[in-house]
Amino acid sequence: MAGRKAALKAVDWAAFAERVPPSQRAMFNALKTRNDALTTRLAALPEKPPAIDWAFYKANVAKAGMVDEFQKKFSALKVPEPVDTQTAKIDAQEKEAAKSIAEYIQASKARIAQYEQQLQKLKNMIPFEQMTLEDLSEAFPETKLNKEKYPYWPHKPIADL
Amino acid sequence: RALCPLVPSAPAALRALPPPVAVGVLHTTRPLHTTQQSLAPVPPLPEKGGEVRHGVIPEEFFQFLYPKTGVTGPYMLGTGLLLYLLSKEIYVVNHETVAAACILTVIVYGVKKFGADVAAFADKLNEEKMATALAMKNGAIQTLQTAIEEEKKEQWRVEGRNYLFDAKRNNIAMLLEANYRERLLMVYNEVKKRLDYQVAMQTLKRQKEQDYMIQWVEKNVVQSITPQQQKESIAKCILDLKALSKTAHAAV
Repeated sequence: MAGRKAALKAVDWAAFAERVPPSQRAMFNALKTRNDALTTRLAALPEKPPAIDWAFYKANVAKAGMVDEFQKKFSALKVPEPVDTQTAKIDAQEKEAAKSIAEYIQASKARIAQYEQQLQKLKNMIPFEQMTLEDLSEAFPETKLNKEKYPYWPHKPIADL
Repeated sequence: RALCPLVPSAPAALRALPPPVAVGVLHTTRPLHTTQQSLAPVPPLPEKGGEVRHGVIPEEFFQFLYPKTGVTGPYMLGTGLLLYLLSKEIYVVNHETVAAACILTVIVYGVKKFGADVAAFADKLNEEKMATALAMKNGAIQTLQTAIEEEKKEQWRVEGRNYLFDAKRNNIAMLLEANYRERLLMVYNEVKKRLDYQVAMQTLKRQKEQDYMIQWVEKNVVQSITPQQQKESIAKCILDLKALSKTAHAAV
């Protein structure tokens, strides 16, 4: 009975549900229903089966020795605990997930830094009323007219006007 | 030194610039406008042009002459000059003069009547361009901010992965536990069933034996009742009934 009672870690379903992105809600619901089903099933089963009243049977069963035999075999019987094959897989999954999550967070932070940079640039821009065309080309390089490729006005293909 | 008396008062920044390259080389590499002062943003152009009187003569001219000649000075100057040019025929009046007068009249009339509207229209065009540009800029700022929010939210979401794995492990543990308990229960049930079966068999057998014995005893008793005994018992029953009926009558 020692390895049996690996304590069930309390899962905060409310906090968990908050963090599920909408695209994965179906999977989350499936997991939750599974968990609930297992919980009810577990709760319905008693922890130990009731004890067999050997004295009563010894007094009442006429066949000699049958009850004693049963009793001996019963107390000698060891019900094997079901073997846990999946927890190792789950741990492996968790490690993998931790790695990919670290990468994702890195990428995310890089993206945030980029966005912050652009935001700062936009916020520090001089107002449009005080800009010349040169200043505009500096602030938004995509508006710069390519005078080498298109030497004649309007310096961009007619289709782009 | 005598030719450039302003050198001592030149700002230090200019003096700090490297000296011009030798004559004959194009001056394209001379760095200009690199110090802090010249990198400052250009102040915006003034909204309105300088003051003018009668549309063409700057106000500064009138102010310039005011201390010496008062208010009418510039007008006197203008009239005198004009009369001098005409009378001395320095400016000759010919058909060009008439043409000029007509054209100028039309132009001035046109500008006075439609000037404000055209100006407003042009200003509106410009305003629209500015507004589009500003809207784009604000939109971009908004998008970036929402993008940053979204990224932070995703990072927060990712923190919930622990819950997922805990839930999975819980599931497994619960499944194993449930199986184990089911097995124990099954063992118990089977053993109990067998023992109960034995007990039930025994009680059934005993009961059947009892029933059979009772039946057999009854059968024998009935067989042993002789006709003589039967007559006696019937007569006794009748006497008893009569006695009972007497007591019953009395009670009623």
